[in-house]
Amino acid sequence: MAVDPTWLGVVTHLHITARAFLPMRSMAAIELVAGKGIVGDRYMLGIEQGFYSEKPEPGRQITLFEEEALDCIRRDYGIEMTPEEHRRNVTTRGVPLNHLVGRQFRLGECLLEATRLSVPCRHIEAILERPVFDPMIHRSGLNCRILRGGTVRVGDPIRPA
Amino acid sequence: MRHIHTVIRAADAAGAGIRRLVLMDPDGWPLPKFRPGAHVDLHLPGGLVRSYSLCGDPAQQDRYTIAVKREAAGRGGSAFLHDQAAPGDAIGVSLPRCTFPLAPDAVEHVFIAGGIGVTPFLSMMAALERSGGRYRLHLLHRGALPLPDMLAAHVAGGRVILHDTAAAPRPELAALLGSPAPGRHAYCCGPAGMIAAFEAATAGWPAGAAHVEHFVPPPLPPDPSAQPFTLVLAKSGREAALPAGANLLAALRGLGIEVESSCEGGICGACRVRWLEGPPLHRDRVLQPQEREREVMVCVAGCAGPRLVLDL
Repeated sequence: MAVDPTWLGVVTHLHITARAFLPMRSMAAIELVAGKGIVGDRYMLGIEQGFYSEKPEPGRQITLFEEEALDCIRRDYGIEMTPEEHRRNVTTRGVPLNHLVGRQFRLGECLLEATRLSVPCRHIEAILERPVFDPMIHRSGLNCRILRGGTVRVGDPIRPA
Repeated sequence: MRHIHTVIRAADAAGAGIRRLVLMDPDGWPLPKFRPGAHVDLHLPGGLVRSYSLCGDPAQQDRYTIAVKREAAGRGGSAFLHDQAAPGDAIGVSLPRCTFPLAPDAVEHVFIAGGIGVTPFLSMMAALERSGGRYRLHLLHRGALPLPDMLAAHVAGGRVILHDTAAAPRPELAALLGSPAPGRHAYCCGPAGMIAAFEAATAGWPAGAAHVEHFVPPPLPPDPSAQPFTLVLAKSGREAALPAGANLLAALRGLGIEVESSCEGGICGACRVRWLEGPPLHRDRVLQPQEREREVMVCVAGCAGPRLVLDL
């Protein structure tokens, strides 16, 4: 697959949480395990305790969300949403996440493969007590498989593989 | 996981017939925030779901504290929490919901509580102490105080006034409430008779200045076109009468039918079901017009006619 050389992004925030519904915890660095997930996160395969864990999905080991989408939700709907509120693990800037489905890309020293777009869920409106479901449609981030693990830190570059 | 997974970390007696439980994440992770006056649903064995006000300080983010009064004539929820629930046991808890919030524009809050009805005011008072808000609580109780240790500082500070109805005649609520005034809000949580008396006493108050706590879930957004209809499952021949605005996915689950679902908002496509007779009222945003002629997303759909027959 042709590599698109025109983008270079950066990790702006990292979050994990132990179980469904619990607040996301901001991290300076997270540990990715190839084929499994993020150490301490609810969707780590084998110890899954996420909202969707009754439905195993190997392509949901790590999730990403564009910080630009938060800017747009504020612009289009006047709704403030912070990086710990979208409930994805990695907040990015400068990465066209929706273009990456089916492609591989580098997250710091790690290698990911995007499996599908994330879909918002109504239950986030109950958690946040804000009508964010519609605003998140088509810009709700990306689900990925971890091909090569390692440590990811805030400030790490994100680029095509 | 459909609920917050908590573990009972402490349980103690906290007044006449009252058991207090402290629920925490198994690893002590912070729990979802709650607003003063909020409650949670506890999911108990046998499908029992019971609502309890959170009576701890909302600033303490690692625990939900509830106080359960034993209801001798109840349906088993309080008996279970008194007699069987023990520290270390797991309990599924809903997200906190606040149907009894502090009025944000109030300059003074007057609370009326009956017995165990004091619980939502305990979280409110903790928040008001921190923010410097003005309040007064009149607690009507019969004999022993509910949650005496949580009330002690407020009583000593003069902001909780106790009315022991075993020792003195029941006070008139109108006298306790005083007159309506700009910025003064009145609140009541207690037995049904007390709520009725409170509503009578505040009938002349400005609209929106008197608040009562009912333990009912927040209503769904009303659909003016919704009508009751009969749900029919063609393969099993089962039927169910559904009230106007009923959620079809929940109704199917209630009939023991396993239906895939994910977003439960009509966009992900997980709960697609074939329909045979209807027509359904489609409220999804995933099916094409030609697909809608045969299929329906049951998480959001209703029915335009008296019968909805699904190919299940």
